[in-house]
Amino acid sequence: MLEYALARLLRMVVTMLVIVTGVFFATRLSGNAVDFIGGEGLSAADRATLVAYYGLDASWLEQYWRYLRALAEGNFGISLVERRPVSTIALERVGPSLQLLVGAVLLTLAVAVPAGTLAAVYRKSWAGSMIMGAAFLGYAIPNFVLAVLLILTLSFWLGWLPSSGNGSLAHFVMPVVALSAFYIASLTRFTRNAMLDVLSQDYLRTARAKGLAEPRVIFKHALRNALITILSVLGLQIAGLAAAGNVVIETIFAWRGIGEMLVSAALRRDYPVLQFGVIAVALAVILINTLVDLAYGAADPRVRLARS
Amino acid sequence: MMTRSLVLALAATSLASLAPLTPALAAELKVGASNMPPYLDPGRDHSNVGSQFYYNSFDTLIEKDHSTAEAKFLPGLATQWNRIDDLTMEFKLRPGVVFHNGEPLTADDVVFSFNRMFQASFPPYAVRSKDRLNNFDVAEKVDDLTVRVRTKKPEPLWETLINMQQLMIVPEDYVKGLTGDPKVAENSDFEAFALAPVGSGPYRIAEFIPGERIVWQRHDAFWGDKAPFERVTVRSIPEMATRITALKNGEVDIITNLPPDQLATVEADPNLKTAGMVTPLFHVLIYNTLNEKMASPKLRQALNHAIDRQTLSEALWQGKAVVPASHTMEPFGALYMPELKTFEYDIEKAKELLAESGYKGEEIRIDTSATYYTNGLLAMQAVAEMWGAIGVKTRINVDDKWTGNDPTMNARNWSNPMYFPDPFGSFGVMWAPGGPSEGEGRFKTDADYAEKWDRFRFSTDVAARRQAYGELMERIKNDPPFLVLYQPYESWGMRKTVDWAPAPGHIPYVLDFRAGSIRVDG
Repeated sequence: MLEYALARLLRMVVTMLVIVTGVFFATRLSGNAVDFIGGEGLSAADRATLVAYYGLDASWLEQYWRYLRALAEGNFGISLVERRPVSTIALERVGPSLQLLVGAVLLTLAVAVPAGTLAAVYRKSWAGSMIMGAAFLGYAIPNFVLAVLLILTLSFWLGWLPSSGNGSLAHFVMPVVALSAFYIASLTRFTRNAMLDVLSQDYLRTARAKGLAEPRVIFKHALRNALITILSVLGLQIAGLAAAGNVVIETIFAWRGIGEMLVSAALRRDYPVLQFGVIAVALAVILINTLVDLAYGAADPRVRLARS
Repeated sequence: MMTRSLVLALAATSLASLAPLTPALAAELKVGASNMPPYLDPGRDHSNVGSQFYYNSFDTLIEKDHSTAEAKFLPGLATQWNRIDDLTMEFKLRPGVVFHNGEPLTADDVVFSFNRMFQASFPPYAVRSKDRLNNFDVAEKVDDLTVRVRTKKPEPLWETLINMQQLMIVPEDYVKGLTGDPKVAENSDFEAFALAPVGSGPYRIAEFIPGERIVWQRHDAFWGDKAPFERVTVRSIPEMATRITALKNGEVDIITNLPPDQLATVEADPNLKTAGMVTPLFHVLIYNTLNEKMASPKLRQALNHAIDRQTLSEALWQGKAVVPASHTMEPFGALYMPELKTFEYDIEKAKELLAESGYKGEEIRIDTSATYYTNGLLAMQAVAEMWGAIGVKTRINVDDKWTGNDPTMNARNWSNPMYFPDPFGSFGVMWAPGGPSEGEGRFKTDADYAEKWDRFRFSTDVAARRQAYGELMERIKNDPPFLVLYQPYESWGMRKTVDWAPAPGHIPYVLDFRAGSIRVDG
């Protein structure tokens, strides 16, 4: 078990190092930050002065070495644009992003699992078709279109909800819904398929035969077995959300999260911020995968047994 | 069960309670801005984003009547200024002025603020101050309320230059005390100042989150008329549709950067209105005159003649952008010269010149950022079509990277803002011998050009300056390094109860919320 954990940790460190290195050189290959942050109209000498001031005059290898050494001390550097420590900027941004993420995951679970289950159970009635129709729509509509539609109806026309910012509970509704719609739709479909698969199994016939009430058959025996599929899909979804899902939604709703930070850092070649952002997202993805692995164990005793 | 845990989780993570959607009261003004700056330092900043914010918090020695495009100068932090000799101006400072942090404003602060620019050691100041402040030599204290400023050559534009944003006054002790040795101005002090700026204007900056939010509070000890609002909040709402919705909903009272095609949407609402003006800024198309492909003056003349700028204004700006015949605009005052015919649309002439230029069908690359300039990409696409019509091959290269210093650049869009109300404040800065354009290696001046430029810049006689500017424009016409496209029309949306409009006497984009510039009814 210890060996397994160590191997896993080592692989994680190597993965991170590869990612850090890749980002470090890729961002520099794509242009010098000075040309993106007020480099207009500078003579070659003045430009060189600024490049030196921002510490970008050293060779890439030297900069890379300096960066790794700072990283080892837990220092992510100073933003080239805002001139504040990257950690300060990130701290401002992590909270709002996590709020959106948690909201979206909870909403996705709360809607998709019951909806998918119902769609499987009532697969031959109009209720099932309605659910799948809605899921198809949710799957097809891009989140930025949905976001603007929500703003247009709930905010612009009806004036029920604030259009942007993250000051209160009401501010959450539209961004969370817009962010979740795609994931709800896709998880509903996966849940339905997983449930259909399970519902045709022999052990369900057995459960019914021994006289269990139908809700108990569905929720205890069927859903529990479908959970493995649902969890792995959800894990992928959360990883996707953490990695890129928020960028558009955060911009539309002026929600100052990590996604918006990453995009503006990329556009301005704010290397330290961009590097931190990619590391943070990579770590989140790795962490989520590990959590999903653990959740498998909880959902399916066979996984637990196989490991020990 | 699931639903309840969602609500609980959201409630736990949310900071404040449900905000009622009531319109803001007059005690507070709320602004939704499309762009917010990453730092606030009037000396370091020369961007169109930052220029929105300095006037509310900082003062200059010489103030200006901003209600008119004419140059009418007024006492500011200085109550009088007198020429001592050809090179020296003496300023008498207003007594009793206090900075937002409570420190009194004295000659030391003025000397510090000026010399940090005139004799800059901090690289971001050094690279920016030389193109417009390089005639200033030094500022010296005479006594606590008297300062002398010396120039290298006699300066015809004293008031205009002393009034500019880069010469707003900051507190010496506060800046020096921010980091390290409190007696020394280190680079880190200037960096720290840009995140926690302090000035002497009617609003102090109570909160500044870079790129996100500025909160102003009234500075009760302000020396002039008190600010009309207890509090002003500006927050970033980058997405246009969201910004308009926030205004309609009453979440904000004013929004910035309303594109021309959205004016009708806002005006259709009985509670809202718009205000706009032609911005004192030129969108220009620049050429790399040193690039082999672009070397022929006849080719560049042909390209200029081929562009129908009036059509661009009508198609992209609903006819509201102003198409000037030269690099000239009304705020230039005595040097506004609409009679100059530097740029003309003439397709026949264009074809003729192109034939004479020796152009052999080489592909001309047009660089543009996707969104930086309003309508920038669309304008470049139209330009490519217009050049195509006379037989010039083009390729549009969309990239946010600045390519003005790239030797492979052929043509690209740019803007020439008016940094201060004189042609020196736009053309004079951008196209000076050794200035930004020549420094980047895409424009070359000679002795004749430099002589004309010097007469334009330093003649004390207005007629001589006009004469020299005309001669410079003739040079530009015959060997064009650029084409002025138009002055864009910029609009703001607001609640009908808000009485505000952009003032014609400001540099571009200033949000002037000082007393007399804005009123809110009810």
